[in-house]
Order: sequence, then C-alpha cells, then structure tokens
Amino acid sequence: MSAVEVRNLVKVYAGTVQALAGIDLQVEPGTVFALLGPNGAGKTTLMRILTTQLRPTSGEARVFGLDVVRRDGQVRKVISYVPQEMSVWTDISGFENLLIYAKIYGLSAKQRKAVIQEALESMALSGVAHNLVRTYSGGMVRRLEMACATLIHPKILFLDEPTIGLDPSARKVVWDKLVSFKRDYGATVFFNTHYMDEADLYSDQIAIINQGKIVKLGTAEELKRSVGGEVILFNLAGTEIGADVLDEIRQSRQVKDLLISNSELSVVADDAETALPGVAAILSRRGVPVKKISLNKPTLDDVFLKYAGTRLESGGRIGEVRSVRRMIGRG
Amino acid sequence: MIELEVRRMRHSGTEIIIRAVQPVLWLVVFGPIMGHLRAINTGGIPYVDFITPGILIQSSIFVAIFYGLTIVWERDSGILKKLLATPAPRYATVIGRSMASGVRAVFQGLVVIPIALIIGVSFVANPLYFIVAFLIIFFASGGFAALSIIIASFMKNRETFMGIGQAIILPLFFASNALYPTEIMPSVLRHIVTYNPLSYMVDAVRSLIITGDLHQLPIDILAIGVFDALMFGIAALTFKRIIE
Repeated sequence: MSAVEVRNLVKVYAGTVQALAGIDLQVEPGTVFALLGPNGAGKTTLMRILTTQLRPTSGEARVFGLDVVRRDGQVRKVISYVPQEMSVWTDISGFENLLIYAKIYGLSAKQRKAVIQEALESMALSGVAHNLVRTYSGGMVRRLEMACATLIHPKILFLDEPTIGLDPSARKVVWDKLVSFKRDYGATVFFNTHYMDEADLYSDQIAIINQGKIVKLGTAEELKRSVGGEVILFNLAGTEIGADVLDEIRQSRQVKDLLISNSELSVVADDAETALPGVAAILSRRGVPVKKISLNKPTLDDVFLKYAGTRLESGGRIGEVRSVRRMIGRG
Repeated sequence: MIELEVRRMRHSGTEIIIRAVQPVLWLVVFGPIMGHLRAINTGGIPYVDFITPGILIQSSIFVAIFYGLTIVWERDSGILKKLLATPAPRYATVIGRSMASGVRAVFQGLVVIPIALIIGVSFVANPLYFIVAFLIIFFASGGFAALSIIIASFMKNRETFMGIGQAIILPLFFASNALYPTEIMPSVLRHIVTYNPLSYMVDAVRSLIITGDLHQLPIDILAIGVFDALMFGIAALTFKRIIE
C-alpha cells in the first residue's frame, strides 16, 4: 500500500483560481518525498488536501489507503502536519505546548509524560522546556513544532517548507532531527520546499510542481540525468589529439558524446564519475598530456529550468522574506 | 482547550489587571454619581449595587467578544491549520475554544468582586448563589465567544474585527438592563432588550448575587441555554470558512 496516492486531483478556489490542475503521484512508505516548486505552484494546497483541511474539487487522494474526504477522521489519526507558518502558542512554555497536543491526541497521563520527555530530548529542547516560547529562536520554534508533530509517532509526517526562514546551521539541525526520527520509527516524510539543496540532500523522491501540475518525478539523480548527461572537461596541455584517440574514447561504453574545441575536450556521459577513469586511462595510454580535469553536473536548478520553464530561486525570494517577517511580527 | 487558556492566563497576570481598570471606573465614578441623582428607580437597592452585576458581566463579555481575535491570530499563524489536522473533531475545537474563553471571562469578572466589596456593595451572603452566578457567566460568555468566532470567520483582518467588536459590545450593553431597569425604557428599546441575551445574563446574576430574588432565574437560564446552543451550532458551521 502506498503512503500517499493521488489521482487526477483538482482544486479550484472560489470557482476561478485553479490551484491544482490534475495531480497524480504516489509515495512509498518509509521514504522521504520532496515536492519542489516555486511559490504559488500549489504545494501548500496539495498538502492541505492531503491533511484533510481542504476538500478537493475533483479527483482522489488517499493516505495509507484512507480516502482524505470520506475517511478524514481516520486519516488525521495517522498523520502529523507542520504548517509553513509558526504553529505553537508563544505565550506558554514549550512543555505546555506539548502537553496540550498530547491531550488533544488523547494520550493517557502516563504515556504523556514519557512521550513529551522523549520528544523534548530528541529535538534537543529539554533545557528550555519550561521557558516561554516567545523567548525561543526561530530554529528552536521549528524544533518544538517538530516535537509536537512527532509526539504521536505518526505514520507520515507532512511538512510545509520545514526550514523556511532559518539560517543554514538551524536548517541542518532540523534536518538531522528529522532524518533520525525517520530512521528510528520508519515514518514517511512528505515535505514541500523551494530549497533545491534540501530536496537534493534529504529526499528519496522528488516531484517538481509548477502551476498546479507535476511536471517531473524521480530521484534527484534521475532528474539531473534527464536534463542531459554529465560533462567531463579535460584541459589538454597541447592542442594535438589524434582522430583515432577520439574514436577510441567515443567507443568506450559509458561515453555518449564528445566535443573538442581548442585545447578543451568535453566528454558527455550518463554518470561522469564512473566514466572518468576509463577515459583518463585512454588518454594516458595514448600519451595525451592533461593539465586539469573537471566535472560538470547539472543541478536541480537546471532540471527545474527545463521542466518548469523558470528558475526556482528568483521567484521565491520576496515571498520568503515576507513570510519570515510575518513570523517575526507575530512572535 | 480550557487548560490551554488557564495556562496562558497564568503567564499574563498584568493583562487581567489592566483590563480591570475600566469596570473599576464604572463602579467608582459612574455608579455613585448616577446614584446621587436618584433619577433611576432601582427597586429599593442602591444604584451602585444595581449596576455591579452589569459591570461585572460587561468585563466578562468584553473578553468573550474579543476572543475571536485569538482565533484570527491563530489562523494567520499556523495553529488553526495544525489543529484541523489533529484527530480532535472540529465542533469540539469550536466549543472547546468558546468555553475556554468562558474561563477567561470568569476570571475577568472575579476581579471586579473585591473592588465592589471595598466600595460597599452588599452581596447576597450565600456562596452557592455566587457559584451558580459564575457558572452562568461561564456558559453565557462561552456563547458570546462563539458569536465572536462566527464574526471572525467572516473577517479578513484584525482591524475590521476590532471595529465590529466595538460596534457590537456597546449596543449590547446599553440596550440591556445592565445600567437601568427596563421599565424606564421606551417601548421599542424594551423589545430589543427582550431579545438581548445579555439582559438574561445580567438578570440572572443580579438576582443571584444582589437581590436574592430567584423567580426569574429558570427563564434566564433557558434563554442563555438557547443562545449558547444557537451560537455553538452556527460557529461550528462557519468555522470551516475561516481556514479557506
């Protein structure tokens, strides 16, 4: 059974604004799934439908086989959700936030103590548990939200832009905690992001979403390869290289194409790292002197550019700054 | 949910004190001055005593009516979204939050009592009556908080909400029996008073803590019950709007 299964999902707001234009996707249990896209692509809408907050206009969505419309109550028992905005009460302590959530989830007094303790420790918040949340840093607030979300050991964790507005070290801490939670409990993680490095580093599967449609699905490696091969660039000492040498390189198994211009030899391969030793061996056997070798791999940004027609980074900035301001203003 | 509100209040003592300033002014300044005029026939009890329940309820209702602000804040932050994704049923969230506001309102009302005692208001010396009076404040405030949630579901931002809140609270207060007996009102206003839930609340509390005359009490409680049921029902329905 898939952790998430979505078929032809459409959401139209107020009869006119089409947020989702027919989404199909599938997430396997125990994996980390990244939904990557610019602001306004429909990421949050999709997540809010999957967490039963919004009803789809048409189409079907299931979480662990449970329909999000017809069996929404049961869906809510197996999921946890961390919205993009700050979602803890700032005028009580971190411990009290966890206590309230433990009660909402109906844990008994004995269970509560144990799970709160565990959640505080795993998110490294034990020391500040009894301080008011108002005094927490952005990273600590996020970790507290993670603690609230992992309290009940959900089968699947939905995170909407989990590290937005955090500095790089706080981002890393949040991810370290998430990865260890996932490893310890085998939970599925479904997250939205517009940070390509996070999708690249932490996810097993990536779906690129743009204007309400999934434009590409695959692992980070697959996506990057789909843009075209990786390139090995040899800076040669001389300009002379025999046609027979080029032929030999061209015929080696992993090489897809090659190009020579001046003293630069570009070799295109599916996987540059494994192709490199073979090509280098041919060059050295034929006595072609090489000054420098560099690898050029396509980034997810290139992938995004190809499938969505825009760059990710540019669109995100203003919205991000705004939402960070919003968080600060309300804190 | 109620526990949440109590915990929040524990961390914000000054707020309750500051909010108590206004009712104190009513009791200490407005009450005695109007009382001196002897223009209003309050049925043999001192005027300050007569308006004490009204003032007490005003400060409770004030808290309840503006409870929607909390909900608006929670919508703008992610708290409501997160609550909606928990197994707690939605109607329970609405009723829970409303009743939680009732707790806050009761505390706000309790602050008024010692001040009233200092300026010499004579209460019915029966603790049971007091407990019932505050239970009524608790449930009725819950109803007003639900009304506040209903308003919040239709409001897009905090500023309009503040305006609407003010626009509701003063007419409610003045078109009720809080400051003067209904007998001296023009008949149009008297009809409005009949449909004003605040009147029943004031009447119930006044009979319990000031006059001790309970023969109207069942009707008051019935009216508040109907009001609560109605407000909770509508609030549970409109609550969905708030997150779209």
